Amino acid sequence: MTDIPSAIRTVRWMVRDTFRQSLASKLFWVMLSITALCTVFCLGMTVDTPGERPRHPDEIKDRLPAGFDPRAEDEGIPESGGTMSLGFGLFEFKVPKFKTDAVRFFQVWLAGILADTIGVLLALLWTAGFLPTFLEPAAITVLLAKPAPRWSLLVGKYLGVVLFVALHATLFVAGTWLATGISTGVWDGAYWLAVPLLVVSFAVFYAFSAFLAVVSRSTVVAIFGTLLFWLLCWSMNVTRHHIVGTDVQGLTATSSFLVESGYWVLPKPFDMSGLFFEVMHAGDYAMLHEELAAVKAKNAFHPGTSILTSLLFAVVMLSLAAYEFRKTDY
Amino acid sequence: MIAAAVFDQVVKTYPTGFLGRGPGVPALRGVSLTVPAGGAFALLGPNRAGKTTLVKLLLSLAEPTSGSITRLSGPLGDRRTLGRIGYMHENHAFPRYLSAGELLAFYGGLSGVPSAQLPAKVESLLTRVGLADRKSEPIARFSKGMVQRLGLAQALINDPDLLILDEPTEGLDLNGRLLLRQIVREFKAAKKTVLLVSHVLPEVEELCDTVAVLVAGKLVHNGPLDVLLRSGPTGEKRSLETVLKPLYEREVTP
Repeated sequence: MTDIPSAIRTVRWMVRDTFRQSLASKLFWVMLSITALCTVFCLGMTVDTPGERPRHPDEIKDRLPAGFDPRAEDEGIPESGGTMSLGFGLFEFKVPKFKTDAVRFFQVWLAGILADTIGVLLALLWTAGFLPTFLEPAAITVLLAKPAPRWSLLVGKYLGVVLFVALHATLFVAGTWLATGISTGVWDGAYWLAVPLLVVSFAVFYAFSAFLAVVSRSTVVAIFGTLLFWLLCWSMNVTRHHIVGTDVQGLTATSSFLVESGYWVLPKPFDMSGLFFEVMHAGDYAMLHEELAAVKAKNAFHPGTSILTSLLFAVVMLSLAAYEFRKTDY
Repeated sequence: MIAAAVFDQVVKTYPTGFLGRGPGVPALRGVSLTVPAGGAFALLGPNRAGKTTLVKLLLSLAEPTSGSITRLSGPLGDRRTLGRIGYMHENHAFPRYLSAGELLAFYGGLSGVPSAQLPAKVESLLTRVGLADRKSEPIARFSKGMVQRLGLAQALINDPDLLILDEPTEGLDLNGRLLLRQIVREFKAAKKTVLLVSHVLPEVEELCDTVAVLVAGKLVHNGPLDVLLRSGPTGEKRSLETVLKPLYEREVTP
């Protein structure tokens, strides 16, 4: 018998409890410190684009190597890049020639590559122990004897962790966006798309981690299983784009079917980053990943569907975890 | 007779082996038992008799292999009846990051206690179990006895009609034990039910009206305590220990 008000009440209490747990585990402060450090680095950012000028109607793209486009010499279209320094001059590197592009280039690296891979993997690693600890028989028996639907305890804990990561993703994006805006004067609203991107990336893989936690009740299995699974999904995603984008010959019908089905069934971390690259117009000023550029050229890149199917995978995993949890004897 | 719980031919076999395809470990073998409403009911038996399994089935912590169970006049599937039950067991592993006050509010919230009533309830229960001055202290700093007192408080947070105590005096000091006995007496006076699982026989003799004895997953006795105590050939009243010894040693055919 499903008691919706009781389920809602349970989810609310579990979310609250998870936040309390994260505060006690110091994880909240560790993540906040990382955000603060990145924000300070961005505050100390300077961008020097000596070739800054109105855009030429046939602008030579930054991603082309200097001298690649003959128009640079023939028509005198400037192709010089700029430089960016971070952390009050601690690091310096080359960036695209327009200031807006230079800042976007940096933001793509910060949120679309660093936070979306290393950040999400670290968040998965740090939060992987929450569920197995919660599911230990000595800890959960009293909770299970309360009039709360079992599935709502699990979903509440899952949502609590996802909301916790969402809060930190928002603080990270807000902090770095503000700092970048203050130090460079470039306020690009598209950067905010990094928040849902990071949250969806995390939520999808944390659903798999929750499933492993329920089945094994082991933090080690949840951590390594999820990291390996992320690697498998990323590889499957890139392999599919490579096959489709570069017309790989010699594949049997079965192999093609397996790759295509694996791609559509599994989460697609590479596509989620790809969507962010699109919104940030990364193709204009940075060399896109070869596979991504190839499937885009063939009109075989559908980021919206990719995200929807990834979310569907998360729903299925969470449902399986809830089913297993519901029928487990404690 | 109004019943707090009814077990009808309940069998529980814990699965073993790969994907549960092994022979399984039998914990209960066709137990039929009624826990009458109002009064204190003791569930006794040697180790591995199936007492805790019976409690787990009643609380929906595990599912019976066969047979049926009625809980506070409702089926096991109706989890709302759990809102009228308080449960305290011997090995609490409460979240160590919570304080005593936060823990009671958390369990009270999950039990359906309205938010507006929670602060007052938490305050009065902590006072009742002697932890009012430790309300904001993390549980990580609590001794085993203090955790047991907190366990008792959480079992009472929803004003239950049925209080299930599984080895409740483990780790409790004298004052804690006296408090527990007082609470059981109050439940009896209020015509509520206490289901006590204990190896502390003097406590059972002092508090309980009805006794059921399980041995190797089978019910070997069920009836008023006084009848059990006078069950010898002379009809004289003997100690519970003396009466139980032959029962515990009885061979039970599977």
